[in-house]
Amino acid sequence: MFRKVLIANRGEIALRVINACKELGIGTVAVYSEADRNALHVRFADEAICIGPPRLAESYLNVPAVISAAEIADVDAIHPGYGLLSENANFAEVCRASNIKFIGPPPEVTRLMGEKDKARMAMKRAGVPILPGSDGILATVEEAQELASEIGFPVIVKAKAGGGGRGMRIVRNHEELPNLFHAAYSEAANAFGNGELYMEKFVENPRHIEFQILADEHGNVRSLFERECSIQRRHQKLIEEAPSLQVTPQMREELGKTICRCLMEIGYQNAGTIEFVMDAAGQLHFIEMNTRVQVEHPITEAITGVDIVKAQLLIASGARLDEILPAKLEIRGHAIECRINAEHPVKFTPSAGRITAFNVPGGNGVRVDTAQYAEGVVPPYYDSLIAKLVVHGCNRAEAIAKMERALSQFIVQGIETSIPLHQEIFLDPNFRDGDFDTSFMEKFLARRN
Amino acid sequence: MKPEDIADLKQLIEFLKENQVAEFDLDRGDLKIRLKFNSVEVSSTGLGDLGRLLGSAPAPARAVATATQPAVPAPVEPESGLHTVKSPMVGTFFSSPSPGAAPFVSVGDRVAKGQVIGVVEAMKLMNEIESDAAGEVVKCLISNGQPIEYGQPLFAVRLG
Repeated sequence: MFRKVLIANRGEIALRVINACKELGIGTVAVYSEADRNALHVRFADEAICIGPPRLAESYLNVPAVISAAEIADVDAIHPGYGLLSENANFAEVCRASNIKFIGPPPEVTRLMGEKDKARMAMKRAGVPILPGSDGILATVEEAQELASEIGFPVIVKAKAGGGGRGMRIVRNHEELPNLFHAAYSEAANAFGNGELYMEKFVENPRHIEFQILADEHGNVRSLFERECSIQRRHQKLIEEAPSLQVTPQMREELGKTICRCLMEIGYQNAGTIEFVMDAAGQLHFIEMNTRVQVEHPITEAITGVDIVKAQLLIASGARLDEILPAKLEIRGHAIECRINAEHPVKFTPSAGRITAFNVPGGNGVRVDTAQYAEGVVPPYYDSLIAKLVVHGCNRAEAIAKMERALSQFIVQGIETSIPLHQEIFLDPNFRDGDFDTSFMEKFLARRN
Repeated sequence: MKPEDIADLKQLIEFLKENQVAEFDLDRGDLKIRLKFNSVEVSSTGLGDLGRLLGSAPAPARAVATATQPAVPAPVEPESGLHTVKSPMVGTFFSSPSPGAAPFVSVGDRVAKGQVIGVVEAMKLMNEIESDAAGEVVKCLISNGQPIEYGQPLFAVRLG
């Protein structure tokens, strides 16, 4: 087991990792920017090192500063959390070269999954269902036109190096293809330094469903079932739940097996999430893999009883999955997460500032992951997520009732939060019935205005 | 009350305020005083209060740096007119170009703006640290080979 771990992140996830380390008896080192001097991850870590000014590029994304901090603190391993450096294969390589264990998959695997066209092909080879589309990248517009006729419009062209919705365009007919192809190409070239594109059949208003997996360093992979993440606004998830109402036990079992086989072949290690779109016919199609812990991991923890972050630490220190997980994983009840953001509930403008009052709900089946506190400050430089409210009930109806109760007791003053928005969503009959897809928020907000 | 009592009382109030005492009772038989200060300034961060409430929580984050150096750079200059040269990066500080060599600067030396005053090793790279002010070095705030964090005070320089 590790002696000391550096947490290369901030906010609730940094605290989440610190908590897991503490429970495992591992020493913790926080790194922070000048804007986070009074943050809770700094206070609750055993040691803390300031690594730069507020700007991300100069602090949390500054690889030499993070590694240098790891060296002077003499840590065995670095946990990257999510976002920031978590899917940066170069960072994982520098860790390896510096003899520090990166808690995540090997850099080669992260790189493979980061090249979306290659990840697609790897999944296809292993029999994971993918959307019809190009085998690898598209060399020319002509090739794109030909393929689009073959698979049928609408199609989506996506950057191989893509992410965050950039470098992608939905194309509905032949006429608009050349322009949109070039627009996506130059956007991707600007954003990622690589304009190469691939094509997929575009699914209108799909559901977003993802599978959580854990893989050890001895070739074992297990599925921790799925999460339903269709309640999104501009590709940002707002509410997630597990299990999905749409995934049948048979699908769960079969797809879980296929994914595990695929990741075994690839040599995947540690925690990961495979994202799918579900079409109107209920078919799942692979879109991409996230090679890190997800924001919404607590709902899987709730229904499986597995501590995913502890599992990450144990796996990275060499433990085998059968030492970490029960022989048979089972789904217990239903869990829902609301992402509480520091933003205006109607205008969605970010709301940084000092929190003057902060009451966190509790009670049976209610969990709040946050690094905020009364008199704490939400700095304007970072992500607006200030808390994750997670409830676990014996079924979906109970989970919804718990969430409504907990939201009403979650009081944040001094800044605007998305709590009132969540309360409205929970009153929506379609949401309550489980009748929604990724277009839910768009329709919901249109009705609201 | 006699005028000197009033003066004493004023002094007492000042003293209590200075030490952020919230309540004070005095019963001397002939004199009874009860003071209550309702606006003990909420600390700028709130963490002070949280720390008190949590009791067992560690003192504000310690840097790995050392037990002797405060992790948080002193917010106030120790002496007016003194400028603090801070580290622009996290790493290990070296006061001389190579082991055994004379230090870049010593207390009493004059430094020019842009003059190299030390080296910070970060990821096996030696980064020369330049003074951002001209003047006389009056205090060295770190020792050779010490781990330092971003923004940590290195030298106090009397400008001029």
